Amino acid sequence: MSWIKMPLKYDGKCVVCNLTVKKNEVGFWSRGIGVKHEKCAEKNIDLKCIICDGSVGCPSCEFIEDCNPQAVSPLCICKKCEQLEDPFVSYKNAVIEKFPILNIKI
Amino acid sequence: MMWSEKYRPKNFLDLIGNEESRKLFVEWFTNWKKGTRPILLVGPPGIGKTTLANLAAKQFGYDLISLNASDVRNKKNIHEILSPVLGNQTVLGTPMIFIDEVDGVHGRADYGGTEAIIKILKEPTVPIVLAANTDSSDKMKSIKKVVKTIEMKPLSPKLLRLCLNRILQLEGVKIDSDSIAKLVTKSRGDIRSMINFTQARATGFDPPTEKSFESLDIEEGINAFYKANSTVEARSILYSLRIDPREKINAFYSSIITSKISADDMQKFLQVISEADMLYGKIMKTQQWRLLRYLDAILLGLYKKDIPIRYSKYNLSWPLLNRLRWDGTKIKSIIGSLAKTMHVSKSTFSTLYFPYLLYCIKNKKIDLEFDESLEEIVQKEVALIK
Repeated sequence: MSWIKMPLKYDGKCVVCNLTVKKNEVGFWSRGIGVKHEKCAEKNIDLKCIICDGSVGCPSCEFIEDCNPQAVSPLCICKKCEQLEDPFVSYKNAVIEKFPILNIKI
Repeated sequence: MMWSEKYRPKNFLDLIGNEESRKLFVEWFTNWKKGTRPILLVGPPGIGKTTLANLAAKQFGYDLISLNASDVRNKKNIHEILSPVLGNQTVLGTPMIFIDEVDGVHGRADYGGTEAIIKILKEPTVPIVLAANTDSSDKMKSIKKVVKTIEMKPLSPKLLRLCLNRILQLEGVKIDSDSIAKLVTKSRGDIRSMINFTQARATGFDPPTEKSFESLDIEEGINAFYKANSTVEARSILYSLRIDPREKINAFYSSIITSKISADDMQKFLQVISEADMLYGKIMKTQQWRLLRYLDAILLGLYKKDIPIRYSKYNLSWPLLNRLRWDGTKIKSIIGSLAKTMHVSKSTFSTLYFPYLLYCIKNKKIDLEFDESLEEIVQKEVALIK
């Protein structure tokens, strides 16, 4: 998911601020993700851990080169919670707690 | 069994990522009543849009009527399929309509597909769920006006790894952490392709080395495909061959055409290749790259257990190819010098004079002296004359 800085060929919608990035404006482009303004690219977004509600620590994440925190599903999992005994069960429990409607039984 | 099917979520909690979007979706279903705006799920492939619709039907007790872009391409089709559902619900239980890849409805305006869908979306009598990869086209803009849109995003690599580790644990498969990271990043947020890649890697055709699944070259891939013990294994191999689709089709074609197989098999396989070629042609023409996912499903028709097909790079068999390459060069040189003597072009000589010359040599009407190597070639050509 590497971002390439370039003068954009076409008008596009910024994946961060949702505003138009105009043709010929210098911005960032990534295949399959889209474009973003140069300014928006500078914003450091840190995702939130769904289990402990803490910050995930995106800038120091091992996947930072391959992940665009602005464009992925907003809740992630931090390093500490990943090392829990069964992180998948902890994730599920956290989802039940925060989104009880998903535990619907009809 | 494909892992992506085996571990397909059984309820809303089994899904991973997009928690807020899932919540909005379930709330919409919980509160649905006649006239509620249909819902549009927008997001890249492999993040659970179709699964979400299937789960909703199951959880809320609806009879799911699934359509895709080709079913709803024109007005007539749409009315034929959907009118009975919208008009007479009692006969069909409790229907729910799911239109997948609605952004793929295209074609000439007079087909009226989009307009017919919009008309139905405006007065929904049953729950209608649409799914699209993108919502930026003009056609999608008009659809978006009459629906509630829920955006779904690709999953972060860490969530993908969480899910993958769970599957590997349940399957009892061990893959080193570097390879897991590679599988996760290559899938670009697409959970389905990540699971397929992993299964392909874990089923054994790709030796457990540091070599990435992407580096399985075409020769190994085609040979492994025909050595596979089952269709499932063949499918995994095919899905792991991440090369240019044109190259893939050509490689199968050249391998099949040069193999010694029965005429029936040859006819069947060429038919499959023709279908794959048509699909690829359509993709190139319309730039609908989402259709590419169906290419492997078509090419899977080329599998037959224990069939003696092995990879060949060229469309002709080696003996014939050698003759064309080596003998052809020498024949060209003979033709070149004789054409000069006869004051005609090389093309005229090779088309009109050369066969006649060979007849003359065969019938001993003429005796030309060639070098030893050329003599051998000419004798070969003479021997081929019937």
